[in-house]
Amino acid sequence: MLGWNMKAARRAAMAAMLAAPAGAALAASPVLQAEQSDVATLPPVGAHWVLPATDRDAYTLYDADAGRILGTLPASILGNIALSPDRRTFYVADTIWSRVDHGTRQDLLQEYDSHTLALRREIPLPPRALAVYKGQDFDVSPDGKWGYVFDMSPATSVTIVDLAKGAVARTVDIPGCALVFPWKQGGFSSLCGDGSLTNVGYAGDQPTVTHTAPFFDANNDPIFEQGLVDRATGHALFVSYTGKVYEAALGQKPDIAASWSLQAAAGQPVAGTGVQEQAWRPGGKQPFAWNRATGHLFVLMHVGPHWTHKTDGTEIWEFDPTRHALVRRIDLPQPARGIAVSGDAAPLLYATSPDGTMTVIDARTGTVRRTVEAHAQSMIVAPDLLPGRNG
Amino acid sequence: MPVSFLDTLGEAVTRRLAARSSRRGVLGRVGAAIAVAPAFPLLPVRRADAAPATPAPTLTDFERRAQSTDPTKCNYWRHCAIDGVLCGCCGGGIHTCPPGTEPSPVSWIGTCRNPDDGRSYVIAYRDCCGRNICAAPKSCGCNTADREMPIYRPQASNDIIWCFGTASTAYHCSTAAIIGQAG
Repeated sequence: MLGWNMKAARRAAMAAMLAAPAGAALAASPVLQAEQSDVATLPPVGAHWVLPATDRDAYTLYDADAGRILGTLPASILGNIALSPDRRTFYVADTIWSRVDHGTRQDLLQEYDSHTLALRREIPLPPRALAVYKGQDFDVSPDGKWGYVFDMSPATSVTIVDLAKGAVARTVDIPGCALVFPWKQGGFSSLCGDGSLTNVGYAGDQPTVTHTAPFFDANNDPIFEQGLVDRATGHALFVSYTGKVYEAALGQKPDIAASWSLQAAAGQPVAGTGVQEQAWRPGGKQPFAWNRATGHLFVLMHVGPHWTHKTDGTEIWEFDPTRHALVRRIDLPQPARGIAVSGDAAPLLYATSPDGTMTVIDARTGTVRRTVEAHAQSMIVAPDLLPGRNG
Repeated sequence: MPVSFLDTLGEAVTRRLAARSSRRGVLGRVGAAIAVAPAFPLLPVRRADAAPATPAPTLTDFERRAQSTDPTKCNYWRHCAIDGVLCGCCGGGIHTCPPGTEPSPVSWIGTCRNPDDGRSYVIAYRDCCGRNICAAPKSCGCNTADREMPIYRPQASNDIIWCFGTASTAYHCSTAAIIGQAG
């Protein structure tokens, strides 16, 4: 082809020299060839891929290094998304109605191929909990075998989905408790209204349900819903409205460490529960992110009194939870309502703002890499790619 | 449901009290108080009528700024723990669903202070359901969080779509009806 083109070009150049000057340029350029329409596919999932919830109808997949959109996964404002541990599948748990706002309600777990983003399979579910933007409504067990879907009718339960079979395995009632925090293996825990955890062990037969003693003050200083789990260890970090951090080794009998204060770790006054007590406090719609490689916790912080737990953050504070120490305070270019961080050792931090922008920050320096006009809602998902599971 | 929630709360408080106190303990403490009372001089005492009747409660920022005239604004006093679009901006009202929608029979609740009488009231934030979300101006979309709780305390949690028990669970807007005076 190249030879032919070269020859054609040479011939065209000769012709152009011999021909009259008028029209020479037109004749010199080769005729554009007809094109076939095709569909893009994706390379293996990258460490800096991120999925902000966008507008009210999708998660948009970004390559944050390049700052460009790779594709779109449809999901309503009530939908949750998770990447399978083998990185082959994006799971979307969502609820739709056959006639948009009425008709037959359908709750589904949808499987999208992570290479083509093609819809591969849809698994019918019992009615899910419907609450706006809570990542902890749905998760996949770190071994990839089970999907955990939080239900609320308003009685609460969790539907366990056998992901290999593509079918519901069973539903486990968790009265007085909510959300799912997967263990390293074999079950999940949920936060309870009396300040405890309930723990559901399940390996395919009868579930075993245990409860911890209450360990936080659910009346005055409740733990945020957006607790985080390190999927490699099954350790969870829970943070309370006033900034107390509780680390728990999740399992049938969770081991819960004594709490420490974000503010004390940062050399700031500890926040209390006073409604006029101004202090640095965690807040937002998705105020926490945890980087697996460094073990560092990132928290959206603002100054305000108690009950400002949904207030956007003006700074991101980075902590080393093992030392109970502040690492860095990062000023945000504008207040943010949600954050996420990649799982790798060169982490990118993502912040979503009320005007829909997604700010990409180099977590090693705290500097802004780029700002993307993303139509972003508050929730943003950065899949953690555990080593050795490349699909 | 609000009533059952209050019942549950009352029961929980009573049970907790019962669990933490024994009859003998209470008798002991009362007896001790009687026994040691003479040891403390009763005078001088501060005269009750010289002191303010009750100390002014510390108000939240929302309560300090709340108004009682325009229920289509986020700072209307009953909206102290609301999350959603105000139905008053959508063809409904403070306790009225817009035409074509259906009120949820259950709701989350808030406890809000009326700036006119200084009393606190229990507010039921009932969602109106059966149409997709109302396209009201942004100023009608509110998210306040006085005493708002996580989803594991659902009665006080405002991120939940409360359209349980309605023909359609599609969320349209939220109302703020008074249930009664808070205790």
